[in-house]
Amino acid sequence: MTASPFEIEIPRGRVIEVQRDDTRVRRGTGLLRGMAVIWKHWKESFKLNRSYSQIHGTFTIEYPEERPRIPEAYRNMPILLYDDETGHELCTSCFQCERICPPQVIHMTQAKDPATGKPVPAVAEFIIEYDACMSCGFCAEVCPFDAIKMDHEFELSTDDHLRLTVHKEQLLRPISYYAHIAPTMWAEVREGALKKLQGNIRRRPDVIGLAPQLTEKIAARRAELAAQAAQAAQAAAATPAPPAAPAAAAPAPAEGRKLTPEEKAAKLAAIRAANAAKKQQSGDGS
Amino acid sequence: MEVVVQVVFGLIALFILVAAAMVVSVRNVIHSALWLIACFFGVGALYLLLQAEFLAVVQVLVYVGAVSVLILFAIMLTRQISGEGVRQLTSRWPVVLVVTVLLFATVMAPTLINQQWNVPPAPPLGTPEPIAGPAELGRGFVNEFLIQFQVVGVLLTVALIGAIVIAFEERARRRRVLTLAEELELKRLRERATQTETPEPVEAEPVARETRPASEG
Amino acid sequence: MYDMLAALINGTLGWGWPEWALNLLSYILVVTIVLVVAPLQMLFFTYYERRVIARMQDRVGPNRVGPEGIWQPIADGVKMFTKEDIVPQAADRIVHFLAPCVVVAPTVLMFAVVPWGPGMVPVDLPTGLLFFFAISSISAVGLMMAGWASNNKFSLLGAMRAVAQMVSYEIPAVLSLIAIVIVVGSLSINDIIAYQTGLIVSNRDLPGIPDLGLGWFVFTPVGFVAFIAFFIAALAEGERTPFDIPEADSEIVAGYMTEYSGMKFGLFYLAQYVLNFLLCAITAIIFFGGWQGPGVGWLYAQGITPENPNGNGLFNVLAGVLGVFYFLLKTYLFFFVMVWLRGALPRLRIDQLMDFGWKFLIPLTLANLFSAALWVAFTRWGPAEGMLITVGWSPVLRWLAAFVVTLAINLGVYLWLTRVYAASQAERRRAELEELIAAGS
Repeated sequence: MTASPFEIEIPRGRVIEVQRDDTRVRRGTGLLRGMAVIWKHWKESFKLNRSYSQIHGTFTIEYPEERPRIPEAYRNMPILLYDDETGHELCTSCFQCERICPPQVIHMTQAKDPATGKPVPAVAEFIIEYDACMSCGFCAEVCPFDAIKMDHEFELSTDDHLRLTVHKEQLLRPISYYAHIAPTMWAEVREGALKKLQGNIRRRPDVIGLAPQLTEKIAARRAELAAQAAQAAQAAAATPAPPAAPAAAAPAPAEGRKLTPEEKAAKLAAIRAANAAKKQQSGDGS
Repeated sequence: MEVVVQVVFGLIALFILVAAAMVVSVRNVIHSALWLIACFFGVGALYLLLQAEFLAVVQVLVYVGAVSVLILFAIMLTRQISGEGVRQLTSRWPVVLVVTVLLFATVMAPTLINQQWNVPPAPPLGTPEPIAGPAELGRGFVNEFLIQFQVVGVLLTVALIGAIVIAFEERARRRRVLTLAEELELKRLRERATQTETPEPVEAEPVARETRPASEG
Repeated sequence: MYDMLAALINGTLGWGWPEWALNLLSYILVVTIVLVVAPLQMLFFTYYERRVIARMQDRVGPNRVGPEGIWQPIADGVKMFTKEDIVPQAADRIVHFLAPCVVVAPTVLMFAVVPWGPGMVPVDLPTGLLFFFAISSISAVGLMMAGWASNNKFSLLGAMRAVAQMVSYEIPAVLSLIAIVIVVGSLSINDIIAYQTGLIVSNRDLPGIPDLGLGWFVFTPVGFVAFIAFFIAALAEGERTPFDIPEADSEIVAGYMTEYSGMKFGLFYLAQYVLNFLLCAITAIIFFGGWQGPGVGWLYAQGITPENPNGNGLFNVLAGVLGVFYFLLKTYLFFFVMVWLRGALPRLRIDQLMDFGWKFLIPLTLANLFSAALWVAFTRWGPAEGMLITVGWSPVLRWLAAFVVTLAINLGVYLWLTRVYAASQAERRRAELEELIAAGS
């Protein structure tokens, strides 16, 4: 993108009616005036013209050495977004974009919780066929989570046809990238998107939903989960009484928000342990 | 050098004769016109051989540049676009050839036999050759051959005027597509004609004033 | 060339060749140089036109293929060589094949009489100027052949329009040149150039003027009107805008060139640009002195000339280089004006074009002929030819009288003719519209 701005000012709403009187005999002076106009154009064409409001100057942008400034709303080929800080993808595999895509080039599968087998608001595999995508932008318009957006990259020519079937790893871009290319458009939807993302993060177990290229974040999260699990096991071993289990569930719903899958699993384990203990007690008592 | 001149003359004359023969014997009319053009070039070459450069150049300019174009125009405008022509030579052409040659010989032989060819003797070495260029031709046109010059001029003018008269079409019979400006002018003229027939000056004014802002808004 | 070769081979190197060998070698060298230079000029002209017209249209033009796009014409040539040569099935094959040759050959032949520098003309014909235009009229036949042989109604129509335009505009072109021939008194191009010595006023008219090679014909009223008329007629001969109806893509596809592809189209393209180069060159030669300019005459006088066989060969080279430089500068300047007109003007309809040629340019050039005759009468004639009025006048007075009289006549005729022509065109339009009203109502 060039640093110099390239604006267009179009005065709208003015109609000029030109009365042509053919009866004046110009004797060739009209031709000379026309030639004078073109001489001025030729003379001024050695300067650059960086605004469409001027009529003199060369406005050729010599691609590929110079690039035109691409407007924010330019759309060419969709990309998926992931959050920079948490590393989570915004996509929840709701299938809205797949439904609305006119040439039907979007394909995805929803992630499932490995423990319960239930669907999780994250996407396991996401494929877009770039060679048939017509860049209409419907997918970006309809996405409720602002997860899929239109990129500005148009230099996609290749002689390897299979490379144009793009998978999730190649589709992912950090939010900072999108905020850089379309700041105004991202600023409008940022708060809502991040709020929804927080909700979704809580419902994603394990490392599901983390962008696959952020290997360190994945490793860190795994370590964190392992530490939590070790803590929970220690707490469960240290305090045999089920009423002590609520201590592990202490980070749990004091405010009434939704539980993360780990918390849910812990809660379920606690309830089962309590039931088992009750049965034992009743079994012992009777 | 004499022999070289004779040989070159023979070649050029052969070329001219062959071209002329092809003019009357090829099937396609356009091809015969093109052979005629080749014939004209040959005659121009003959003029060059006779050291009449001006005439050679004028021959090319007039015959090849103008007369041939006229002939081609005439052919192309009056014939169907079909390439095939009628074969010009009948099957009895040897007989025709013999008869033609005999007739030609009967006419030419007395002239060739009895004529005293006035070939002037070669001038002594060193005399400059008389220059017969455009200047001499021009002087001849206005001094000795003035009448002939004027008659030819009148003839050409008459031909030009006759061509214009023959080709002139009445304008009303020419129908063509009007340009946008012409249609607008036509509309204005029609309106003016109808307005003069039914004069309503009071109402004509506001109509005019109302339509102008509408076109400017 | 013969003199230089003789001096070089027999004089400096002392080989002692016979005359016929020197003649042969000189002609071979000249022909080779001309046949190499002609396509090179054409290539440069295509590049020059594309860059200049691009700048006039606020864009850059081809600048990718070499440094600043210099090899672009080579790329165009390669493209044309390698394209498939398609001949329509019902076309007349022989005529279709010969038509590009008949169009190109005259344009290359015309190089034979164009002088590039002092003493640098391949063939010095006494009727050089007439040869130039006679040969250029041959390409009209080639155009008709091309239009006919394509077996295509639109090609035929385009060819007829092209030939009508070419033939109609040959008349004002030749008539305007004849005015100059009347003043010079000779059809030889070298004589016309040699007349234009001096400074603003030619040496032949006023013998006292210093020879700076600037006594061009365009500074005289006769020459100026002739220049304007000739330049417009040259635009029409070369089928440049505003007279490019025969080849305008939006009008009739490519006109007579529609059914040609590959190298045959390349030959038509070549012929067009070579013809335009030659017309610009002739304009420069006849009206602007050709290779005449400050210094050339003096340099050449010191070199080896037919009058001065003992001169210094170096001066020949210097005079030649300077002369060619002036000549090419003027020619390229005129081509710039041709491209400028292409950028500035819309094209004329075929009927407007014919009207302009026959009803405006021809009367103007005929009046100019009359003025040229008066110029010669005032500057050269005396009581022997009937000019009793100029007895005892000095050359300056004669020149002044000729200048004033021809200026008055030319200016008056031009103003009057423009008024008459504009009135006739307006009258015609109005008459047509009224007849249409009468026919419609």
